[in-house]
Amino acid sequence: MSADVFLFWFLAILTLAGGLTTVLVTNPIYSALSLAFTMIGVSALFVSLNAYFLAGVQLIVYAGAVTVLFVMVLMMFDLKHELITFTRGKISGLVKAGLVALFAGLIVGSVLITSDVFSKSGGAPEAVIGGDTTKALGTILFSKYIFGFEALGVLLLIVAIGAVALARSKGGTHAK
Amino acid sequence: MGHDIFEISINAIKLIVVFLLIVQAVPVLVWLERRGSAFIQNRLGPNRIGPFGLLQLAADAVKFFFKEEFVPANAVKLLYYAAPVIALIPATLAFAAIPLGQPVQWNEYLFRLQGYEINVGIVFVLAVSSLAPYSILIAGWGSGNKYALMGALRASAQVISYELALGLSIVGMILIYGTFNLTEMIQAQQAPLSYSLLGFTLPLNFLPAWGIFYQPLGAIIFFAASFAESNRLPFDLAEGEAELVAGFHIEYGGFKMLLFFIGEYGHMIVASALMVLFYFGGYAIPGISLADLNQWTADHTASANAASLLAGLLTFVCFFIKLSIFLWIFIQVRWTLPRFRYDQLMDLGWKTMLPWALFNTVLTATFVYLAHL
Repeated sequence: MSADVFLFWFLAILTLAGGLTTVLVTNPIYSALSLAFTMIGVSALFVSLNAYFLAGVQLIVYAGAVTVLFVMVLMMFDLKHELITFTRGKISGLVKAGLVALFAGLIVGSVLITSDVFSKSGGAPEAVIGGDTTKALGTILFSKYIFGFEALGVLLLIVAIGAVALARSKGGTHAK
Repeated sequence: MGHDIFEISINAIKLIVVFLLIVQAVPVLVWLERRGSAFIQNRLGPNRIGPFGLLQLAADAVKFFFKEEFVPANAVKLLYYAAPVIALIPATLAFAAIPLGQPVQWNEYLFRLQGYEINVGIVFVLAVSSLAPYSILIAGWGSGNKYALMGALRASAQVISYELALGLSIVGMILIYGTFNLTEMIQAQQAPLSYSLLGFTLPLNFLPAWGIFYQPLGAIIFFAASFAESNRLPFDLAEGEAELVAGFHIEYGGFKMLLFFIGEYGHMIVASALMVLFYFGGYAIPGISLADLNQWTADHTASANAASLLAGLLTFVCFFIKLSIFLWIFIQVRWTLPRFRYDQLMDLGWKTMLPWALFNTVLTATFVYLAHL
């Protein structure tokens, strides 16, 4: 087993364990913390794929900002009452198991369908193979995929403005 | 890490040395802070143990080791013990990626004076430092104390808010030098200063091409935001004594408290190092280009190995002096300015620094575009 293979399995198992803990633990705080751990694991997997820039952005945006906000908000609740909301009924359990199976099927199906996409389109794109992926990523984002990129930016802007508008309509942080 | 046992062992030792650098700098900084603050406030400070009170550090360490091991009744034990350890990680990981001196060429081996070289060093440093709120949040929630929790919420909200301004203020530098690599950024600052736009060139040969001359606004925003990032006065709302007693580490004593301390000083060291790196030419000696330095060391030593080693050492000393100046500014500011109110802090972050950082980015992008026409 070479170092790369070992690294992949090590990181993959850690990341999956983090993900599983996120959904299986009943305490929301531990759940959010394991989500952060999962994000760090995903970032490390990006590093093992030589996608250093994506790894950094993954850490900054998801682990460093989004999940920190989750943790912060969760810590403000009185969590002893939250534990009751995790139901253990038979019918709801069946529904849950069914949903998990459906989701797993979706993932496996999409992986199987798209697994030969590189062979059909004539190999992976050049930029993915080369050494300095950051520059190639920037060039592609601002030339080939510029419209999608800008549309995503506008979408995020709408969400941010919408959140501010909703908060202000109730009086905002300085409400009396 | 290397191709043979010599290279691997040197690189491994390097990692340990970089970690020890940051840990061992803390007692010295604490002494400097206590003595310095005392002189600023017309006191004497700790001066009983050893010459100039220098052995106070050792006495403090012994005290920290022998304090009673204590866990509050309401604490979540796992998180309570994990938080101080996690507090060490971001600063030490970030510091290891910072080049501390010119790489040393020893026969066929090239040793860089840094823990590890990363091609997207800036992104890495920002990414690792963005994990800092976790230790604060875990400590605050895990100790089961409402003052601790409120301190933690304040601190993490502050760190997240100022991260935006911090990140945006560096974008200007990245645009000008066109690289994420910290070593390349230092190389780019070696030439003499000259402004060129639309075919006109204004050479200012007596000054080096440091980032501060291209990005003065970015430098100010970066330095101010890094104070908030490391939870130092005037932004240390997390531990406002009048309201929160001591903030997120109120329940911690002894060595666990010291670990938080090392984490905080580590952030300070990383912030100062980045300041030196981005805006003050990194490890280069002011007025002497790296080529001249290498020529001088080659003339004054017997072998190429020794010359390279000497150059590495000189640049390391230079980096260290620059770093110390910024660390002293951190300390001086702490004992000069009063603390902000919390709403003032948030207003400064979101309504003043963020717009100015955005303006700086747009302005820089425009000028870079014009310069490349």
